[in-house]
Amino acid sequence: MDLDEDDFVFFGTPIEREEEITSRKKKAVAEASGQLRTLPVWKQEVTDEEGRRRFHGAFTGGFSAGYYNTVGSKEGWTPQKFVSSRKNRAEVKQQNILNFLDEDERADLEGQSLGTSMQFDTFGFTAAELARKQAEKEQQQRPSAIPGPVPDELVLPATESIGVKLLLKMGWRHGHSIKDSRPSSLYDARREARKAFLAFSSDDAKVQLTESESVQGNLESITEQPTNDDVQSYQSTPVYVRNPKQDLHGLGFDPYKHAPEFREKKRSRMSGKRETGSRKAYSTKDNLFGFKSGNVAPGFGIGALEEFDAEDEDVYAAGFDFVDTYVQEVEEPSRLMTDSKPKLLAKETGVLPGFRVASNSDYQLERFDPPVIPKDFVPCHKFPGPLETNYRLADPPPPEVPPPEDNNLKLLIEGVATLVARCGKLYEDLSKEKNQSNPLFNFLTGGNGYDYYTRKLWEERQKRTDQSKQQVDVKLSSSMRKMTAESRGKILGERPLERSIKDLSSSVASAEGIQLQFNLSDTFTEPASSSGLHEAVKPFKDDPAKQERFERFLKEKYQGGLRSTTSSGSSNMSEASRARERLDFEAAAEAIQKGQWGKESKHSSATGGMQFTSGGVEQAKVTEAEDLITKKMFPKREEYQWRPAPVLCKRFDLIDPYMGKPAPPPRMRSKIDTLIFTSDSAKETKVEETIIANRDFSMLQSDVQGISQDVAIKENEVEVEVENVERPVDLYKAIFSDDSDDEGETTSLKKVENPEKKIEAATTTLNRLIAGDFLESLGKELGLEVPPDLPQSTNMAKTPASQKEAANSNVGDSNILPVKNDPSTVFSETLNHEVPHNRKIAMEGRPEKNEVIHGKLAESVGIYMETGSTENDLDKVDLEKRVHEDSKAKTPSSRYKNWNSNSSSEDGRSRKQSRQHRHRSGDLDSDSSSDHRDRYHSRSKGRKKESSREKSGSSRRHSKHHKHRSRDSPGRSRYDSDREHREAKREKRKKRD
Amino acid sequence: MSESEVPRKEANVLKGHEGAVLAARFNSDGNYCLSCGKDRTIRLWNPHRGIHIKTYKSHAREVRDVHVTPDNSKLCSCGGDRQIFYWDVSTGRVIRKFRGHDGEVNAVKFNEYSSVVVSAGYDQSLRAWDCRSHSTEPIQIIDSFSDSVMSVCLTKSEIIGGSVDGTVRTFDIRIGREISDDLGQPVNCISMSNDGNCILASCLDSTLRLLDRTSGELLQEYKGHTCKSYKLDCCLTNTDAHVTGGSEDGFIYFWDLVDASVVSSFRAHSSVVTSVSYHPKDSCMITASVDGTIRVWKT
Repeated sequence: MDLDEDDFVFFGTPIEREEEITSRKKKAVAEASGQLRTLPVWKQEVTDEEGRRRFHGAFTGGFSAGYYNTVGSKEGWTPQKFVSSRKNRAEVKQQNILNFLDEDERADLEGQSLGTSMQFDTFGFTAAELARKQAEKEQQQRPSAIPGPVPDELVLPATESIGVKLLLKMGWRHGHSIKDSRPSSLYDARREARKAFLAFSSDDAKVQLTESESVQGNLESITEQPTNDDVQSYQSTPVYVRNPKQDLHGLGFDPYKHAPEFREKKRSRMSGKRETGSRKAYSTKDNLFGFKSGNVAPGFGIGALEEFDAEDEDVYAAGFDFVDTYVQEVEEPSRLMTDSKPKLLAKETGVLPGFRVASNSDYQLERFDPPVIPKDFVPCHKFPGPLETNYRLADPPPPEVPPPEDNNLKLLIEGVATLVARCGKLYEDLSKEKNQSNPLFNFLTGGNGYDYYTRKLWEERQKRTDQSKQQVDVKLSSSMRKMTAESRGKILGERPLERSIKDLSSSVASAEGIQLQFNLSDTFTEPASSSGLHEAVKPFKDDPAKQERFERFLKEKYQGGLRSTTSSGSSNMSEASRARERLDFEAAAEAIQKGQWGKESKHSSATGGMQFTSGGVEQAKVTEAEDLITKKMFPKREEYQWRPAPVLCKRFDLIDPYMGKPAPPPRMRSKIDTLIFTSDSAKETKVEETIIANRDFSMLQSDVQGISQDVAIKENEVEVEVENVERPVDLYKAIFSDDSDDEGETTSLKKVENPEKKIEAATTTLNRLIAGDFLESLGKELGLEVPPDLPQSTNMAKTPASQKEAANSNVGDSNILPVKNDPSTVFSETLNHEVPHNRKIAMEGRPEKNEVIHGKLAESVGIYMETGSTENDLDKVDLEKRVHEDSKAKTPSSRYKNWNSNSSSEDGRSRKQSRQHRHRSGDLDSDSSSDHRDRYHSRSKGRKKESSREKSGSSRRHSKHHKHRSRDSPGRSRYDSDREHREAKREKRKKRD
Repeated sequence: MSESEVPRKEANVLKGHEGAVLAARFNSDGNYCLSCGKDRTIRLWNPHRGIHIKTYKSHAREVRDVHVTPDNSKLCSCGGDRQIFYWDVSTGRVIRKFRGHDGEVNAVKFNEYSSVVVSAGYDQSLRAWDCRSHSTEPIQIIDSFSDSVMSVCLTKSEIIGGSVDGTVRTFDIRIGREISDDLGQPVNCISMSNDGNCILASCLDSTLRLLDRTSGELLQEYKGHTCKSYKLDCCLTNTDAHVTGGSEDGFIYFWDLVDASVVSSFRAHSSVVTSVSYHPKDSCMITASVDGTIRVWKT
């Protein structure tokens, strides 16, 4: 962009670009902040690399925490959501410091926490804690069936702490309160008993044990009063009373939750079953209903052993207050519990207390009679078909037979056996019938391999019945046999599918078949659907071996047939070059195919073009033909995928059709591009006419006046000749190489894929064309015989680019208008000033020899390097050079472009042509000497600037005479000159170095 | 429609441009017109009264095309300096310059919402520029053309470009497809019919071609004028009844849309008629010429 500015003409004060303004603003701000350092400390602001403020006020966060301080959250800490505890208090989690600590911090903290060492761990709490932690750790490390932390209950400390040991030694036992149990023991015992009765009331040995113990204690200290807080102080490992689950309810489900009476009843009934009930202590019936009569415990013997206490007025105690029972228990504690059960067991069996059996029940079980079975109904359904499945199993297994030697036969037998087993005897019969004559199937009728077949069949059946049996078992449908597709088909009278037979054959030779298919596709290529083959076309004439390969390629492509093993080309070719050649071939073939339709017209146009050089009369014919073709061809619609940018869609207020999709592969470049730039060999396929043109130039050079009809004849000769066209290395070098002259030529060729470079190349060639145009007019001025002005049809067929340029330039520049007497000729003076100068130079330069010109050129280049402004000189020299060079590349070259009405492809061709001119001339130069060539390179670089400049000037001048000559736009040339200016600069730098 | 309904009467001559006028465009309601030309200026006119209102100068080279937003608040222009200028109409200042084209910019258009400028360049590309953001990079580059793109038209969901490579390419943003209609002749200028169903393409073989947009079918060809080397505008009349276009000999031609007969042709300018623009509602048109004048024609 900067370089572009050089060329702008600025008037007045430039309007400042918006972003410049904003950037300046930013800069000003930055500067201001830079001055902050001079501020007092309390006004300074610390920022990080990205300009954000580093420290904030104490109330706004202190310092910038968050990710910047790597705390893990943006805020620097995990903010807690406020949860109202009003409704769900249980869920309120207590926050503690651990919530806010990192893991490492937590570890530190834990390391510092105090704990009792093992030997002083009196009660084993620390040990338990440690054990639990250990378990948790292990839990985290390995996955377990139960996700989440292990419940505490499951992980119990394994160690027996010293305290426990001591206690045990002192007589403490598990399940006991550690504290002095005496005052509360009685109460505890009672409570325990109550609980036990309520909860289990079963003959649990443990409960009895505790009770008996407490009773013992009780006996020791009868007079002691129970304390109030004994329940709280009861601390010891709980005694787990295992109550086996005997019912069918869900775990934890208590059907008697709200009706404990029923539980009792149930229990009593159950125990009643077990027990004879001989020891019926008392009826609890009155007890049940009587206990509410007073708070006074109903029992007996309380008063005898202890005082009645308020504690004993257990409000919740139900009627089963067996406080006194353990008095009796002493004697036979084991019986007591069992005794307590039958207390409810009543004579009134099945009647709940408070209920009474109804005298007559309304409920009557309704019965339904079973459906009447028809008399002739057979409960077992049998299918008529010989579906074997079961009933042949009774047969004794045929003896095991070694399989036949013939592997094929073995496979066949096995296959048939499988099928018969699957489809039934019917299939066997069928295949027997079918293959009566087939010797392979002899085994069916008792021939070779029959034994093996029978054995195999039996095996298969065995297998199948096993399967079906399983199925039947699973489905539990004893009456119905499993309906398979086959059996259903049999019922419906369908024929077994043909597929089965095919299966058989393919099973025999499936692997081979695949292999064969693979081989087929490998060896035979499918003929591409192309009607016409053109053996006559020889795009690689210069290289017979290559041409041969190309023909083979064509044959393969269009005719199909056996793929020759050597198709990949001569063995000495590398893989890459082979691939490249194949690409070439593809391109060439396509070009040939594409050019097919225009073959005739090509021919005619070739002659037409020739005649045009001589007289330009018969051009009309060609254009007519072209018109016809055009009518037929155009408009031609094609569709491609095109991906609009998301922003574009947004701006157009449309939904991106490719939203979320990966980018499509880049579309193939057009044919012309590939033809031009893939490689020169591919180019040559399409370039026969160029060759012709080149021939023409040489003729023109030799005999300027003698452009006549015989040229056409010669032309035909030339067409047959094999022309070796040099690779346009010089051109590419001239354009692209700055210091890498020794670089591989082919690589530079390949690199041209860059579209920008393409454009450059195209413009350079266009310059050549324009030069040709110029020369034509020049020759006219000099009185040489020059083809007359183009008829209109050629205008039309001119290269679109130049046409467009013409449009632009002509529109743009009033001077070049056909209207000569235009009053407002602003720029005409300068042009007119230029014109005679150029003309003179041209006249001078015309007769000079090559060497002179080159010398002059080199000189002038040098001048240019020094001054950079002696443009007149340069113009001069360039003109001379041009005259020399382009006298060869005279007008016909530009005429030949018109052959194809397809303007785009023609464009490419014309570019090619001009390139060929170019390197032809380069060729000539290089012939003379090698250092000559070098000079040529450097010169061409320097020269291009002037050439383009000159060209624009000249074209402008000549537009006065020929409207059509003026087709090159100043814009284009300026564009070129930009680039060349740059190049020249680079050159200059190089020289200086 | 008879010949009488064709605007033949010269209502006004707008003089002011030095040198060729390259484009003249009505604004969206037809009350004003803009012209741009070789003298690097853009001029705003009231064509009905023949008054020159304002001149916009900033381009470094000739201005080739200009377009104004439907709300008349912004302009965009392009030209030989390879830049697209985004102007504020009232102040006459450049809001933004879009650079990126590698060659002259031939045509420029706003989209429906005036949020995007699409430009057609000599560098064989169409570029879309975002007016909303401050980015000066194109938001889309369409480079499937194989030659200079001469003209661009926008619909609500499509970008249509006509190129010297002979194609009229429709880029449908909504479905993400590119439809290329190869006319076989360099396309100079394209313009949409008012119903949006057809495209009129001016080709360099002195033919205007009417294409059906949905099918790509060639509906009609209009001949008689000369258009061989200049970029000449063409358009349909406001009623879509006629096709009109300039000629390199200074004539203006009117063809009947359906039977392609020349309804009227008359000499309008002393030189090439570069641009024609038809009033969106009335039977009124402006023509611009290389002779430096813009003429207003009414019935």
